[in-house]
Amino acid sequence: MKGGTPKVTEPKKPKTATDPDVFEKRKNRFRILVCIDGSEESYRALRYASLMGRGDDCDIVLVYVRPIDQGLHSGGLQVRVARQNLLDWGLELPGMKHLKKGLDILMEEGQLEDDWGTETTHTDIAGDPLGDNKIEYFNENGKSIVLKLKTASDPASGILEQYHLGPYQLIIMGASGRSHYGFRSMIDRAVAEKVAVNAPCSVLVARDLKPGYGHLVCTDGSQRSFDTVRKDAEMIVRRFENPMMSVLSVAPDEESRADAEKAANTAADVIRETGIDVLETIVKVGDPVEQIVETGQDYSLIVMSDSGTNRLKRLFLGSVSSKVLEKAKNSVLVIR
Amino acid sequence: MGGAKPSSDQSDEATKKLGWATRVKQGGLKSIDLVQNRLNLFYIWEKRWLFVALAVGASMVIYVHPSDLSDAGVAVLAMSVVATILFITEPVPLPTVALLIIVGQVLLLGIDSTDVAKSLMTDSVLFIMGSLMLAVAIVKQRLDKRIAWLIVRLTGTKTSSICFGISLVSGVLASFVGEHTVAAMMLPVGITLITLTSDNPRAVRNLAAVILFSICYGCSVAGIGTPSGGARNAIMIGYWKEFFYDPTNPDTSIYLIDYLNWMMYAYPIFLIQLPLVTMLLLFTFRPEYRDLSRAVVKLRHQVEEQGPMKSADWVAIGIFFTVLLGWITMSQELGMGTVAVAGAAAFLVVGLVRWEDINSGVNWGVILLYAAAISLGIQMKETGAAAWVAQHFLAVVGPVGADDGIGLWAAVSLLTTGVTNTMSNGAAVAVLGPIVLKLAVFAEESPIILGYITAVSSSFAYLTVVGTPACTIVYASGYLKTTDFLKVGWKMVVMSTIVMMIMAIVYWPFLGI
Repeated sequence: MKGGTPKVTEPKKPKTATDPDVFEKRKNRFRILVCIDGSEESYRALRYASLMGRGDDCDIVLVYVRPIDQGLHSGGLQVRVARQNLLDWGLELPGMKHLKKGLDILMEEGQLEDDWGTETTHTDIAGDPLGDNKIEYFNENGKSIVLKLKTASDPASGILEQYHLGPYQLIIMGASGRSHYGFRSMIDRAVAEKVAVNAPCSVLVARDLKPGYGHLVCTDGSQRSFDTVRKDAEMIVRRFENPMMSVLSVAPDEESRADAEKAANTAADVIRETGIDVLETIVKVGDPVEQIVETGQDYSLIVMSDSGTNRLKRLFLGSVSSKVLEKAKNSVLVIR
Repeated sequence: MGGAKPSSDQSDEATKKLGWATRVKQGGLKSIDLVQNRLNLFYIWEKRWLFVALAVGASMVIYVHPSDLSDAGVAVLAMSVVATILFITEPVPLPTVALLIIVGQVLLLGIDSTDVAKSLMTDSVLFIMGSLMLAVAIVKQRLDKRIAWLIVRLTGTKTSSICFGISLVSGVLASFVGEHTVAAMMLPVGITLITLTSDNPRAVRNLAAVILFSICYGCSVAGIGTPSGGARNAIMIGYWKEFFYDPTNPDTSIYLIDYLNWMMYAYPIFLIQLPLVTMLLLFTFRPEYRDLSRAVVKLRHQVEEQGPMKSADWVAIGIFFTVLLGWITMSQELGMGTVAVAGAAAFLVVGLVRWEDINSGVNWGVILLYAAAISLGIQMKETGAAAWVAQHFLAVVGPVGADDGIGLWAAVSLLTTGVTNTMSNGAAVAVLGPIVLKLAVFAEESPIILGYITAVSSSFAYLTVVGTPACTIVYASGYLKTTDFLKVGWKMVVMSTIVMMIMAIVYWPFLGI
């Protein structure tokens, strides 16, 4: 971290998605944004991300959002004076420790070698003296792992802003919410929901995330749900060492059981087409939300399709997937 | 938007399952989507309080015309209400409110713009500006390690005595140089003690809370101690002079409160609260470690690396005490603002601080904000708006027996505590001061006592992060949760209110008001 004299860093143009070349290049990579808040859940989520992020075509970005240092409430003395004093004592910005622990985990998992190049970037943020800080580790094949200490008014908007700096295919965040360290449990339930609703890409909300039990994909027989199944299989499941998927279809009543079975079988065919084995094909009767939540407990995570691409609609309508997100006891992946 | 709905009633099951947005689109109203893209709803939602505030203000100016208040009074009142809503909800950066107040005074009240500009700069504002510059200069002297060493030398290694030592030293310093200065200086000391005790934040959760709250509440209770302890004190002194001092009438000279006079009233309140703060904190959080000898030994090593005091350190301390002496002995003739500015100039002249540091360390917007708030407060008095609000306040609290004596004191204290927890305490005093002083006139109470009660109560902002500068700075360390402030804050409010009321009833009469 920057210490010593309070010199004003030249605003360096960050590599962002506004640069069309970078944007295009990043679009073809599998980029995972892991939100770290210092909780055990977020580190479990990071280990999971590491399992799917082995290939060279995959980037892992760790982000920690800290609140903006602002001077108006501190009686006119800028918080930067206190912050500078802290840095002079050798104390770090809140969050840096968590990010470094995350990096240690990735090292343990063999994601990162010592000989990788590094690059440190600092971006000035209006209203905050220390702005955003980023450390990027990369190997010669272009794979990179990034630690990002982001400054934003609140965690959810920080995470969403981070999305717009470079497109991601997947955002992973913990849902447990108990940050054992410091200020407001950074990624609490509300934050996870806010991100899941607003993010333009797929979002995995991790709750007690255990790898090795496979994905449970839910289908309602619509084309959108089959697309979801295909996308999950092609984008995420195939990255694991032994890919496993199961299909669940819920019929609202006994009469429509046949339809549900048909939907489940179609989905299973879609999965087989991608070369992944289907573990189970389950058909349940009853309330979709309840059935999905209950059946889903035996799997690593529940895969849902997003209810629509319109953000406004997502915000107001509420859907099976957002209800599942709210009620599920384990992890939920919303494919978008 | 619902108008398009019936057109698709006869459509099949599948269409019904789709949301209204799709149905509207199918009804041929694709333009809605276009509007939605063009119109940034998020912007409007984010700024909703600005619109609410402006709507409230405009409707007050248009529809409220009480027979006993002039139109200008209504306009000032409307501006105050709008400013208060904006202070609390912050839809726009706070200095914007200051700019709006200036514009409003010229446009709504028709005051000459030169007069408005003149009303912005007073001795109180000069003092706020000077003491902020001093604050940066003092923090930059890096005396924090010396102070830390002093504390642990004095207190030994027991957690409870270290916490008391931190509160005491932070408090005594803060009472003279302002709480933000001391919070910024002492924060690294506190965090170093915490991290040296244990690397695992979970194991020192309560210890961290006790140490950090010792700093911020120690500073908070001390801020009322002397006029230089906080902007709000200077604002109140300015209001007393503006409202009641009449150069042609020698009797009114009691309204010129000097430095020592303030200390006599307020300093004992701070001293009594100090041990109670430590007790409350230890009782609420129960730290995991009763003894910090490991951390203290390591801290001592760190401090010893710095070597003996250098001549520059002595010069800094010399300037600091000269400024203090200047405030105590000369503030009556020269004004507190002049002394503060002179002190800042001295630090710059001897080269102990760079202008760049001061320039980036002081939030100049805050000075503008205080200037505008005080100027508005004076307009509240000039137009009779303050008197009008005071009368109605009395009429409301009258039935519960709070329209005079101790009842009124408690009501004022309660009102101030409520307001100060939602905005910065200087702004709270700037907004409430004129009303409270007029209240004193109508209730035939001493404006000095009610003024002190307002100023002291404005430091009871223990509940929220935004309440006092010290809380905001300590919160920025990332070790505390907002809920921690609530958990211990309400006990602090009760304790402080009781201490202040007892002092007001028992001690202040001895001072002769």
